[in-house]
Amino acid sequence: MIPEFAEALAGRLGFDRSLSRAVRQEVEDHLWEAAAAELTDDPLEAQRRAIAKFGDPRAIAREIAAVALARSARRLGVAAMLVIAIVFIAMKARLTWYAMAHWPPLDRMAWLGAWVASIDRYAFWSAVCASVVGWLYVSRQRAPANGCVVDGRRVRRFLILCWGATSALIASVLSDGVLTSLRLAFAADLADWSIPIVSMVIEIGCAIALVVCVRGIARRATYGAQAG
Amino acid sequence: MRGMEGEMLKGHLDLIVLAALSPGPAHGYAVIEEIRRRSANRFNLAEGTVYPALHRLEESGLLSSRWLVADNGRRRRVYALTRRGMRSLAQQRAVWDEFAIAIGGLLGASPRASAT
Repeated sequence: MIPEFAEALAGRLGFDRSLSRAVRQEVEDHLWEAAAAELTDDPLEAQRRAIAKFGDPRAIAREIAAVALARSARRLGVAAMLVIAIVFIAMKARLTWYAMAHWPPLDRMAWLGAWVASIDRYAFWSAVCASVVGWLYVSRQRAPANGCVVDGRRVRRFLILCWGATSALIASVLSDGVLTSLRLAFAADLADWSIPIVSMVIEIGCAIALVVCVRGIARRATYGAQAG
Repeated sequence: MRGMEGEMLKGHLDLIVLAALSPGPAHGYAVIEEIRRRSANRFNLAEGTVYPALHRLEESGLLSSRWLVADNGRRRRVYALTRRGMRSLAQQRAVWDEFAIAIGGLLGASPRASAT
């Protein structure tokens, strides 16, 4: 009876396996101890009473899910800013490399280069703004206290900011890709390609990592809302 | 004390849990036992409600937890107040004491005396 109850409660937290496992062990330990303290010789009756005193598993799972979601959201807020900082460093490293290696400026198709560079600039700083606002928003958010349900609106707003930052970062990385391709297309020395290519791989990796993280939190938010 | 079982109790759950952990580290069931003992069984919480509070307080940095193996062989999560938790408890206790004195003063005054 107790293992089934603990499993049912933990199953509602299935969006986070480690949390689900920890909660199951914690609840099971609690219930066995509570059942042992019951003044009855019937073990099934003792288990039934312990479960009855424990409370509504849906409400408890919902509150635990809210705490876990708040924690994940705060981590995502920090991760988004870190990812954007890494992209910035990769971008600056590439530009420094161009200067050090005396790569010529884009003469041919300069109009396209200037147009893409302005998109890059606006997209990147939009990503910075959205991620900073998201981080500030979520770092002020505390897990709902004392029986409140998940604040779906706050989570939705935070996710909108995260998706905004991610979309802007993808636009910036794509623009960087176009600019780098233009540079490489007119570069004669093949040996000089390594730094631009590596920096672009880092940028693309960062953008993909951010998409994966935001999707993960969006899924958690969906499952967390369903936990109750 | 039936009235204490509802929203009033929930509103102070974090303080209650912090206070229950002030004697030393304890697992969830022991926290509930301590709450019952120190409230002379006046606080009759649904036992499961302390777990979200424990998780929330740990997330806020007011508690820390570690897993141990109990005598019965089961894995057990034991919570302890952090320094921040001790400070928070002291602050909340001071606020509560002032609040209790103020409410006591208000409720202690007779209606006739207040009218004059």
